[in-house]
Amino acid sequence: MINSGEEMFEHTLDDYAHSNGIKNVNEYFKVLFAILTMLVSLISTSPVIPLTIFVLVTFLIIFKAKIPAKFYLKFIAVPFSFALITFVFMAVFFGTGTSVLNLGIFNLAVTVDGFNLGFLTLARIMGGFSCLAFLALTTPMNEIFSILEDIKIPQIVVEIAMLMYRYIFVFLDEAINMYHSQETRLGYSGLKRTYKSMGLLASNLFIRTWLRGEQIYITMESRCYGGSIKTFKSRKDIGTKNILLLLSFESFLLLGTYLTWGLKII
Amino acid sequence: MHIMEGFLPWQWCLFWYIIALPVVAYGVIQIKKVTDEHPESKPLLAITGAFIFILSSLKLPSVTGSTSHPTGNGLGAVLFGPAAVSVLGAIVLVFQALLLAHGGITTLGANIVSMGIVGPFAAWLVYKGIQKVGGSPSIGIFLAAVIGDWLTYVTTAVQLSLAFPVPTFGSAFVKFILIYAYTQVPLAIAEGLLTVVIFDYIIKLRPDILRTLKVIGPAKTGETAEKSPEVA
Repeated sequence: MINSGEEMFEHTLDDYAHSNGIKNVNEYFKVLFAILTMLVSLISTSPVIPLTIFVLVTFLIIFKAKIPAKFYLKFIAVPFSFALITFVFMAVFFGTGTSVLNLGIFNLAVTVDGFNLGFLTLARIMGGFSCLAFLALTTPMNEIFSILEDIKIPQIVVEIAMLMYRYIFVFLDEAINMYHSQETRLGYSGLKRTYKSMGLLASNLFIRTWLRGEQIYITMESRCYGGSIKTFKSRKDIGTKNILLLLSFESFLLLGTYLTWGLKII
Repeated sequence: MHIMEGFLPWQWCLFWYIIALPVVAYGVIQIKKVTDEHPESKPLLAITGAFIFILSSLKLPSVTGSTSHPTGNGLGAVLFGPAAVSVLGAIVLVFQALLLAHGGITTLGANIVSMGIVGPFAAWLVYKGIQKVGGSPSIGIFLAAVIGDWLTYVTTAVQLSLAFPVPTFGSAFVKFILIYAYTQVPLAIAEGLLTVVIFDYIIKLRPDILRTLKVIGPAKTGETAEKSPEVA
C-alpha cells in the first residue's frame, strides 16, 4: 500500500509497525517509554531536554527499530516545516520585550521573548513528535488495543476501534482502486471535474461501506456474535530489567529538565 | 486544523482533556444504549468511523491552490448526530495520530474539543435549523459543513491564543484567526461543496439508507433535541 495512490492518499505507518527491529520488545515497555518521554518533553521549560529527546529517540528509531532514515525524514518533514513556520511567526509577532533584529518592513522585529517562546515550542514539537513517531512506527495497533482494554477503556469503544481499524484498510484499497479508474477516465482533469469525481468516489464509498456494514453484522451473527468480540491475548511480562532501564532513563531526563529549568537560548 | 503534538503547554493539554472527557463519556453512553437496542448498528458505527477516516485522508484541491483534508465532520454529524460523532471523532483522531502523524497524543483532548465536539455540534444545529425553516437539504448540508468547519477553526484559534496569550488573549486571537481566515475560509467552502456532491449522490442512489439512519438514532436525536429545543 505504501507506493500506491501516492498523489491522492497519505501513506500509513502501519507497515513498519508490524515489521521493525524492536517489534518483539514488550508493548508496555514501548508505550510507556514513548508516553513518559513525551510528557517530559512537554513539561520542560528550556529547549535543551526536548532537543536531547529528539536526538535520542531519532537514534532509536533509525538504528534500533531500523526504520529507513529516508522514510522517517519524510514522515517528520511536514510537521517540522509547520513547526518552523510557527517558530518564525512567534518570533516576529509574539514578543513584547526588546527587539534583537529589525526586519525593516511594517515595523516588524524579532523580539527576545518571541524568539525564546517560538524556539521552545519548536523544540517541544520536535521532541514530542519523535516520541509519537516511535510509538507509531514500532507498536502494532493490535497491541495498543490490548493495552486500551487493560486500562479499562469501555469495551464498546475498543470494539468499534478494532472494527474501524480493520475497515480503514479495506476501504483505503477500494478508494485507491476507484481513484485510479477515475483517473484513467480523466476524472481529475480540471477543478470542476475533480469535485464531481471526488464526490462520486466518496458517496459510492459511503454506500459500499454501508452495505458492507450490514453484511458484517449478518456474518458475525451467523458465527455466534453475542454483542462482544473475543480476542486472544498472550500477556508478556514487562520485565524488571526493562522497568529499571525505563526508570533510570526518565530520571536522567527529569534531572536534565530540573537543571535546565527556565534556561533560554538568548 | 489539528494541533500538533508538543504545541500546547501541559496545563492546557490537561484542561482540554478534562473538558473533552465528559462529552465523550456521554457519547459512549449514548452509543452503548443504541447498540444494546440495535446490535446491528455496532458494525455500522465502526464503518462510519472508517469512512470519516478515509474522507479525511482525501486531498482536496482548493481555490487558493493549496490542498487540505475534508474533515467529514458535517456529514458525520448530520447523518449520526453529534453524540455518536464525538466518540467516532475521538477514535479517528487517535488513528490519525498513530497512522498518519496528524495531531498528537498530548494534544488529543484539545483536538477532540474542536473537531469532535464543537464542529459536529455546530454542523448538526445548522442542519436542523435549516430543515426547520424549510430550506433544501443541499443548502442545509452545505451550510452545516461550512459553518461546522469555521467554528472548528474558531475553537482552535481560541485554544491556541489561550495557550499563548502574548501580549493579551485578544490580540493573540486576532493574529491566529487572521491566519486561519486567509487559508481556511476557502477550504471550508470547498469542503461544503464536496459534501453537497456526496450527499446528493447518496440521496439519488440510496435514499433508503438516509431513511434508515433516522430509525437507528432516535435516542440520539431525542437527547440532543432536549438540550436545544429552539432548533430541534
